[in-house]
Amino acid sequence: MRMIFALIRRDIVLGLRQGGGAGTALGFFLTTVMLLPVGLGPDQALLQRIAPGALWISLLLSVLLSADRIFQQDYDDGTLDLMAMGPTPLELVTLAKCAAHWLSASLPLAIAAPLLGFLINLDPSSILPLTLAMALGSITLSLLAGIGAAVTVGLRRGGLLISLLVLPLYVPVLIFGVSASQSPGAGPDIATPSLLILAALALASLVLAPIASAAALRSYLK
Amino acid sequence: MDFGAPHAGFVIAAYAVSAAVLAALLVATLAQDRLKRRELQDLDSVRHEERR
Amino acid sequence: MQQFANPTRFLKLANAALPAVWAITAALFAVGLYGALVSAPADYQQGETVRIMFVHVPAAWLALMVYTVMALASIVAIIFRHPLADVAAKTAAPIGAAFCFLALVTGSLWGKPMWGAWWVWDARLTSMFVLLLLYLGYIAIWRAIDQPQRAAMIARIVALAGFINIPIVKFSVDWWNSLHQPASVLRLGGPSIAFSMLWPLLVMGLAYTFLFLALHLVSMRTEIAARKIRQLRIARIGER
Repeated sequence: MRMIFALIRRDIVLGLRQGGGAGTALGFFLTTVMLLPVGLGPDQALLQRIAPGALWISLLLSVLLSADRIFQQDYDDGTLDLMAMGPTPLELVTLAKCAAHWLSASLPLAIAAPLLGFLINLDPSSILPLTLAMALGSITLSLLAGIGAAVTVGLRRGGLLISLLVLPLYVPVLIFGVSASQSPGAGPDIATPSLLILAALALASLVLAPIASAAALRSYLK
Repeated sequence: MDFGAPHAGFVIAAYAVSAAVLAALLVATLAQDRLKRRELQDLDSVRHEERR
Repeated sequence: MQQFANPTRFLKLANAALPAVWAITAALFAVGLYGALVSAPADYQQGETVRIMFVHVPAAWLALMVYTVMALASIVAIIFRHPLADVAAKTAAPIGAAFCFLALVTGSLWGKPMWGAWWVWDARLTSMFVLLLLYLGYIAIWRAIDQPQRAAMIARIVALAGFINIPIVKFSVDWWNSLHQPASVLRLGGPSIAFSMLWPLLVMGLAYTFLFLALHLVSMRTEIAARKIRQLRIARIGER
């Protein structure tokens, strides 16, 4: 157990030191959100309608683009080999690395989202549901991104392939995430069941994703 | 089928696309198979040549 | 199942079965097309466009069935290490992708006269679209990895991840649509489908299935040959 925490801490510190982590992901997040009013026009009513969905989509893409950090470095310099041979099961290693990614990239993005929402006229009453939903949903996003990263870790040009593999897996998270971001007053309560489903997806991913990621890594480490 | 009916063109298009795609799939699959079989035969005969 | 393990044995059986499979496929298509275009009546509401159902629904059925075959083959590959399981999964994918593409295109052609739009994001079409992406990703991963053994191992994971995803996506889009759209479901000529339209549908479904079977057997034969060729080439380089 202490190994796992040590691993999480190590990954976070490494990520912070090297950059290309939360900072760059936030920058990307900001840019994609900014492109929306530029592309769609400044109609405030329109922007308010699409704001939750747009923020979620930007979140998905930002998490995905920072995903290759999860395993690439350690794979390249052989550290992953050592981890695989060590006492901790590889499944827990991948879980720890995805947790580090969540803490250092996805969660900060989820927290930053409402702030960026101001740029696209996000309805203030949906700030709390949105942040909650994104904090919960981003767990699944990091875990699934981990699968994509593990599957493409040995490939030279795996970038676009990760997107093709992981984005279909993101579709349910996106759908329930946007539903859960609905503001409390507007119509029947679909936010609560959606939030519960997001929680269920997160729990399922916590169990299944490390198994898949570890299996994929083993094929590359052989 | 009544070919003069409204939207008959859609029906024709649907069947035409289906036929085209399935035919292409058929041709591609059989052509690949034939190609590989030729290759295998060539390699086998070269091997037998070299054994002599 | 073990008797198919040896590729030579499988090839013998496949080659023996293929002529019959092709013949059955042709017969089924002949009967099915007659049923679809001549025998089945035009729908009360949709008119002649209901005939698109006879090429759209079988394509959709096969798109799903083939992915299931891929997932099952992947499971067999993981658990039993059956040598032909990976071959079965790999070769099924392009065929399934073609059926999926057809389901989408014919669905669109059916939707335009029915709903007035070339595309709607209803649960079925959206799930089909995601399925196509899953197919493309699976095919791409086989092509991206050079070593066949490693590619097989990774592909199994990708197939199973996608397979788990399909029902979740269907469920989520269904739910999403029930919130946002009044029911605009494809109505196949009333609450229950008339027998005169059911039997051509089933025959076409069988025709598509047998077509897949034939194409799959041929593709597996091709893939086995390709692997043999690769082995021979590597051996020759070793000899020199």
